[in-house]
Amino acid sequence: MIPKDLRYHQEHEWVRVSGTQATVGISHFAQDALGDIVFIDMPKPGAIVKAGQQIGEVESTKTTSTIYTPVSGTIAKVNADLKDHPEVVNSDPYGKGWMVMIDMSNPSDVDKLMTAAQYEAFLAGQKH
Amino acid sequence: MTSQKHIAILGAGPGGYVAAIRAAQLGASVTVIESHALGGVCLNWGCIPSKALLSVVELGDKVKKAEDRGLLVPGPVTYDLARMVARKNKVVATLVQGIATLFKAWNIEYVQGTGTLRDRQTVTVTRADGAPRDVQADAIVIATGSSWPNLPQFPIDGQQLLTSQQLLDLERIPASLLIVGAGVEGCEFAALYSGMGTEVTIVELMARVLPLEDEEISLMMERELKKRGVTVMTGTTVERLERSPTTITAHLKDGAQVTAEKLLVSVGRGLNSSGIGLEHVGVQTGRRGEILVNERMETTVPGIYAIGDVVGKAMLAHVASAQGKVAVENIMGHQATVRYDVIPAGIFTLPEIGRVGVTEQQAREGVQAAGQDPDIALKVGRFRYAGLGKGQATGDTTGLFKVIAESASGRILGVHIVGAHAADLVHEAAMAMQVGATVTQMAEMIHAHPTLAEGLMEAAEDVEGKAIHQARKRTQ
Repeated sequence: MIPKDLRYHQEHEWVRVSGTQATVGISHFAQDALGDIVFIDMPKPGAIVKAGQQIGEVESTKTTSTIYTPVSGTIAKVNADLKDHPEVVNSDPYGKGWMVMIDMSNPSDVDKLMTAAQYEAFLAGQKH
Repeated sequence: MTSQKHIAILGAGPGGYVAAIRAAQLGASVTVIESHALGGVCLNWGCIPSKALLSVVELGDKVKKAEDRGLLVPGPVTYDLARMVARKNKVVATLVQGIATLFKAWNIEYVQGTGTLRDRQTVTVTRADGAPRDVQADAIVIATGSSWPNLPQFPIDGQQLLTSQQLLDLERIPASLLIVGAGVEGCEFAALYSGMGTEVTIVELMARVLPLEDEEISLMMERELKKRGVTVMTGTTVERLERSPTTITAHLKDGAQVTAEKLLVSVGRGLNSSGIGLEHVGVQTGRRGEILVNERMETTVPGIYAIGDVVGKAMLAHVASAQGKVAVENIMGHQATVRYDVIPAGIFTLPEIGRVGVTEQQAREGVQAAGQDPDIALKVGRFRYAGLGKGQATGDTTGLFKVIAESASGRILGVHIVGAHAADLVHEAAMAMQVGATVTQMAEMIHAHPTLAEGLMEAAEDVEGKAIHQARKRTQ
């Protein structure tokens, strides 16, 4: 459940790059740890964000967790469907469960993120 | 019976009517003068009616989630606001009648009309039919309360610009509602109307909603409001209003515009201390018009007492009741004072908030002022509803218990709860604080399983890092 074409952040966000635009969501591991997601608080389009900054929150029936942006830039679009159907993040974290699109101000931010293989190793390391 | 003391009480809200009954219990002969309705704002246009309406939306929220839990309800949830208001009116009428019955049982005289102090022992009452009447008394208790905002920038018209009193009687659900002021009342109405499908925007001058609450609690409530679809705009204010026959557009300080069908003015309650003859007897008032009282609730004029909102301390119904009891105890020759450090309070948003004592920010400022490092002098315990078996079983997984304690002594300084039944749950903490129990004693008391009250035990345990069911965190 770790798509090869994405890059990953240590807080379990993924990034899909298309030119200078990055689509961001949370990984299968994250949604599984959270359990049933009931609400996602997301930033407003136009907001300027910095890599590593908190941009929102995910609330599940177990806990509330912060969403960090792995890249800097301007929020271009948020996934409005998640407002009424946050559970899509559980069922399709890498597809319909995407959260925001960011116009990157510094596309080289992506280079600092983990590859799928690195993320897989990172998760294995977390499982003690 | 010639030695029986006669007490006149101006106002029959939760301060005045409670004072009247306690005074009668202590042997006084009592006359209560009220210009509007027994029970005052709290019962007729505040606490009770808003809860009657909110309870329906709380039920509706549950029904909306019913199918997920296996309860099949045919068709979508729809609200009949006219019927909700009719039921609300019935609830209010029952409680008002209850006070009238208690007054009869205690031989309390109830005079309908507007009372004015004429001298230290006389209240002149102007009745609805215009006939004046003088009430003689050995002591007078002023319990005239507070009133709805009347600010020049928000000319209330009862059609587009409304007070909370008027909003409680609306019989048609508006398409959109702009609420100015995200205090207790503003947030409660945001929860109510968003639940019925109104597009709600709430504007708050301060940086966060519920600016007087603990910051963490405020931020949680902001998220809860967003979850309900409410647009929350903080750190800004309405500069100018533009009216059309069907809508009202607010131009905000930050350049934004909000257009809505109705606007609720939820800022600037006034104290009812003018026009009641204070000047005739020399009762002094403060800067905001609040009647100045000592700890016995006596004003600057001996024999004249004041209680409730009009003294401008904690503007809460239950504080008014406590002050009312204290005032009449003193009049009747007993010594009594009000303890202001343990005042539990509820905010009936969806979900609720319950609080007692100081916020974390206030606690930190307090220890800093005493020259201590707040990170050492204070400890905070937290526990989420999601970690409770009962919360999971009933679906009440949103919420937080937060306990603030003094590290060295274990003294509980404040407890804040957001979540289902929070306003009821906070009373255990209030009792602990009232009797001086430590956070360890609260943690060690056995709590029944499965209950939401276990959350308070776990939060108290978490003060020492020993909560048993601390919810799993995504990263740590």
